[in-house]
Formats: sequence, structure tokens, C-alpha cells
Amino acid sequence: MSLSRFLIKRSLQGLFVIWGVITVVFGLRFISPGDPANVLLPPDVDPEVRAQVIAELGLNEPLYVQYWEFISGIPFGDLGLSLVTRTPVSARVVARLPATLELAIAATVVAVVIAIPLGVLSATRRHEPADYGATVFSLVGISTPNFWLGVMLILVLAVQLDAFPTSQRPIGLDGIAVLLAGGDVGAAIRGFGTWLWHITLPAITLGTYFTALITRLTRSGMLDQLGQTYVRATRAKGLPETLVRYKHALRNTLIPVITVIGLQLGTLIGGAVITEAVFAWPGLGSLIINSINARDWPVLQGSLIVVAVGFVLVNILVDALYAYVNPQVAYD
Amino acid sequence: MVAMAIFAPFISPYSPSQQDLDNARQPPLGFSTTETREVTQMENGSVVIEDGQVVTETQTVYTNATLAHPLGTDGNGRDILSRIIYGARTSILVGLFGTSLAALIGVLVGLSAGFYRGRVDDVLMRSADIMLAFPSLVLAIALVGVWGQAQAPIPDPFVATGLAPAFRSAVGLPTGMPGTIVLPGTVIVVVALVNWVWFARVARGEALSIREEEYVKAAKALGASDGRTVLRHVLPNAITPILVLATIQVAAIILLESALSFLGFSGADVSWGFDIALGRQYQSTAWWISTMPGLAIVVTVIGLNLVGDWLRDALDPGIEGEGGV
Repeated sequence: MSLSRFLIKRSLQGLFVIWGVITVVFGLRFISPGDPANVLLPPDVDPEVRAQVIAELGLNEPLYVQYWEFISGIPFGDLGLSLVTRTPVSARVVARLPATLELAIAATVVAVVIAIPLGVLSATRRHEPADYGATVFSLVGISTPNFWLGVMLILVLAVQLDAFPTSQRPIGLDGIAVLLAGGDVGAAIRGFGTWLWHITLPAITLGTYFTALITRLTRSGMLDQLGQTYVRATRAKGLPETLVRYKHALRNTLIPVITVIGLQLGTLIGGAVITEAVFAWPGLGSLIINSINARDWPVLQGSLIVVAVGFVLVNILVDALYAYVNPQVAYD
Repeated sequence: MVAMAIFAPFISPYSPSQQDLDNARQPPLGFSTTETREVTQMENGSVVIEDGQVVTETQTVYTNATLAHPLGTDGNGRDILSRIIYGARTSILVGLFGTSLAALIGVLVGLSAGFYRGRVDDVLMRSADIMLAFPSLVLAIALVGVWGQAQAPIPDPFVATGLAPAFRSAVGLPTGMPGTIVLPGTVIVVVALVNWVWFARVARGEALSIREEEYVKAAKALGASDGRTVLRHVLPNAITPILVLATIQVAAIILLESALSFLGFSGADVSWGFDIALGRQYQSTAWWISTMPGLAIVVTVIGLNLVGDWLRDALDPGIEGEGGV
């Protein structure tokens, strides 16, 4: 199968999964014991007013009409109106998106920058102190709940040492881009400094699990590659050890590592939800939690759809990238 | 940890909910705190008033750790060690019941998908894909948030039979332990719904290869029913990777439960994650309130991960022990 046919097949599968996601999210409302009209109305409201509100929300329509109303707007970015603020859900989700994306990307950067060198070091100095250190670090990193790590980082670095803020996000990369576009370079640089200062602790909190995971994968992948015949062949040819390690062995190790990074993006977004709660970071995660507490169905549904659809798209992208990087893969 | 959870009513120094406001925020052994407070100045038993204002003075209060509370006390003067011991019950109950339920659903789905292949396989595995499109914590929060937090108090056998109170008064520990264990029902169902997919995937993969084995064909040829073939021949041969996965899943589910209870979405009254959240308001004065339950989580999960790694190496001679940590 050619790459383009593979992509088409994968996209069709993705579309099916997206449809399933939307349907599951639509169904969520019906397992809830509460009535959406109760969110808007005081309990002692006049039954006539109540009936009117229910009609306005379209809640008295047959199920298939409600389902169609729900699903037909989504391709055009229409996720309905918030029950609480009566503003479009899509606008609220879009406003929160940059904060979550920034956090996820920063955490990935932290993880990749630390983990890959650490994994290589660990594999090339097997059974030396560096290896044991890296091994213990990755075991502890995988076993530590990130919200607790966040609380501890705040406790030590923000409260006791006062080296970092307890976070919040006074400016985002989107704000910095606006400053740059306005030509105010000085303000943009100061803004970037503020941004970096505020995102450090959340990024470490979210990134630690991945750092540990990728260290583990890199170490075992490297060990595996270094034992292969082709490595012995390159050594026998007299290539310097650095070249053997970094040009040949590491390259082959990175292929599975990239796949895992892609597949773990879902966990990353899940972790972002709780990291945002710890650091008062105004992203999608806090939007989801607020909307549950406020019983604001459309906002909850809209955020879930955006998160899941984003995840499906990223997975397709990772598959394509994987197929592109590794020509051996059969497009199955 | 497991023994600690089971025998909580025997070994816990205090009841996890017993408050003692006079001894609030006591530090753990080996630490002491100094705290400055504004206190109203007293003279001959009455407050001093100057210029129509109550006069206050700054006092430094030293609190030393006591043997009575080896891990200190929380903001309401509850013993942290006791809360960790009782919190272990919540974590382990959710971990075990959640994993069992997830394994039950996942193995059933996976084995039938792998055994029948074709249409059944397509439908089951595509629904697994849909589940996987949601980040598990996000889906869990949404489900618990939507469903509400149902809980089932079940009587504590040791307290109900009078064994624990008798033991406690015999060795001189305070009595009045809670008579029920709160089982967070919704959380258990939700963590299972979120995690069954992993079991389905593993079970399906195993079933796909085992169904081609000679002994499965022989069983079929002898006229064994599908149900019997799957249960007697396929399942026993697929059990090793499922067991390894289950150990790792208990750890994952304990982490998920602690995250849910940290965010306030838990039905349990004592939980490690919940206590970490409670301790956050005291982070400038009493660091141990959040720290201790977190350490309990880390130790438990490390233990489970090590057991998982060890099981994988011990049960599967095909994989060399060098792979993971």
C-alpha cells in the first residue's frame, strides 16, 4: 500500500472515531441525574417559565432532532452556547487553547531535552553509578503523581525559597506575538521572560513522568541497538565510538521513542488538566473542571470534543511521520 | 501496605476523623516549627484597650514534634499517620476492585474479538479506539462529575465483630474507630470504564495467536463449544500477560484515584489525594500535611511497578530481563 492510500485509510478511521467521540459526548448528558434547565432556573420557578426555557434550549425536541442539532454544527465550529454565560462555547474553548498547548509543548521539550541524553548516558555506562542514578530516577518519576510533585515544587521553590511564582499565567505566547506584531520588541522580550518564569514549574510538573518514561525507552532501545551486528560492523570499520553511538545507534533508537511520545500525548493532556488545577493555569483543563462544577453541559461537551479530536488528529500525524521515518513499516 | 490497609482498625493510633484543634498542625518527628501570631494582650485577665483599640502583641510559638503523632497532625488536629493508614484502604480497594472490573470487561471483549475475528472484532476494537481517544483522566473526571459520587458504606468486619475495639482497649490505644469502610462506587466503575481497553488489547492479541494453535483446533474438532474452548483453552494460555498488565494497572488506577480525589471528585471520606489537596492551604506553615500522603502514594506505586517488572521477567522467559528498569 502506498503512503497516500495509507493516509486516506487512516483518515477515514479517524473520522469514524471522531464521530464515535461526538456521540459518546452527546450521550454523557443523559446519564446525568440533573436537568439542564435547573442550572438556569431557581428551584421555585413558575412551571410556565420553565417550559418556555426548556423549549428555547430545544430540550423538548425528540432525541434524534437534538442529536442532529448537536452534531450538524460541529463541522462548522459551532459547539452551542454555554448554559451559564450564554456565549458561544467555541469562543471560550479557543480562548483557553493556547495556555494548554503551551504547557504541553513546554513539558515535551523538558522531557526530550533531559530524557534522551540521560537514556543514552545510562545505556553507554551500564552498571555504573550514572546508570543506577538514571534507573532510579525513571522508576520514581513514573511512580510519582504529578499533582503532588507540583504541590511539592510550589512548597519548596515558590513558598520556601521564593525562587519561582506559585504560577498563573500573566502573559502567554499569543500575547507576546501580539506585542511583536505591534513592533514593541522590548516589551515582547520582557513578556517572554515573565512567561518563562511562570511556566517553569508547571512544565517540570507535567514533564517529569514523560522524562522518566522516555529515559527508560531510550535506555532499553539503545542497549538493544548497541548489541546489533551492524554496530559491531561499524566499530570494526574503525569508526569513532561517538559516531557509532550518535549517528547509528541513537537514530534507530529514536524511531520507537517518537511513536511513544506521540501516543502519550493523550496522557499529557490528561496530566495538563490536573497540572492546571495545581498552578491556576487558565487552560482547557480548568475550563473542564469549572464546567463540571457549574453543570455547564455545552462547555464540558465542547471541551471534551476538542481534546479528543485533537488527540485523534495528532495520532494520525504520528502514524504518517512514523511511516515516513521508517521505510520498513508495512502500512497496515 | 496491604496488611496496613486490612488491619487499619488494629494499628491506627487514632480514628482518622478524630479532631483535636488544640494540637492542630503539629510537625512530624525530628522537626519543629516556629510560628508568629498576633495575640491580644491580656492584663489581669482582661484585654488591654488603648485609644479605643484592642492592643495586640506578636508572639512566637514553638511547636515540637511529639511521639503521640509521629507524622504530625493536619489543619484540624487529625493524626496524619492514622489518615494515611485509613487512606491506604481507599486506594487499595479502588485499585483492586477497579482493576478486577476493568480486567473482566476487557478480557471478555478482547477474547471474543480475537477468537471470532471478522465483524465482531471490527466493532469491538473500533469502540476501543473511541475510548482511547479520550485522555483517561479527562474522561474519568467527566464521568464522575456527570454521574455524581455514589458511595456505599460497608461495615468494617473487625469493628463489627468487636475484635478491633477489644484489641485496642487491651493494648491501651484510643477506641472509637469508624465502623464502616466507605466504598467509592462511582470511582470504581469509572476507573474500570476508562481502563478496560488495555486489557481488551492484550487479550485480543493473545487470542489471535492462540486460536491458531493445534490444541484449540483439537478442542474444536472434539466438539467443544465456543465458550468452553475460550475459557478452558484460550484464557489459561493468555493469562500471563494479563496478570502482568493487571499489576501495572493497579498502580495506574491508584494514581488515577488519587488524582480524582485531589480534584475533589471522590466518594471516599479518607483518601491520600484528598489529604494532599487539604494540606495546600497550610503550605507556608505546615509542609508535612501535603507531603506525607504523597510519599505514601509514591512508595505504593513504586512497589507495584517493581512487582510488575519482576512478574514480567519471571513469567515470560521470552523477554530478557534487561528491557525496563
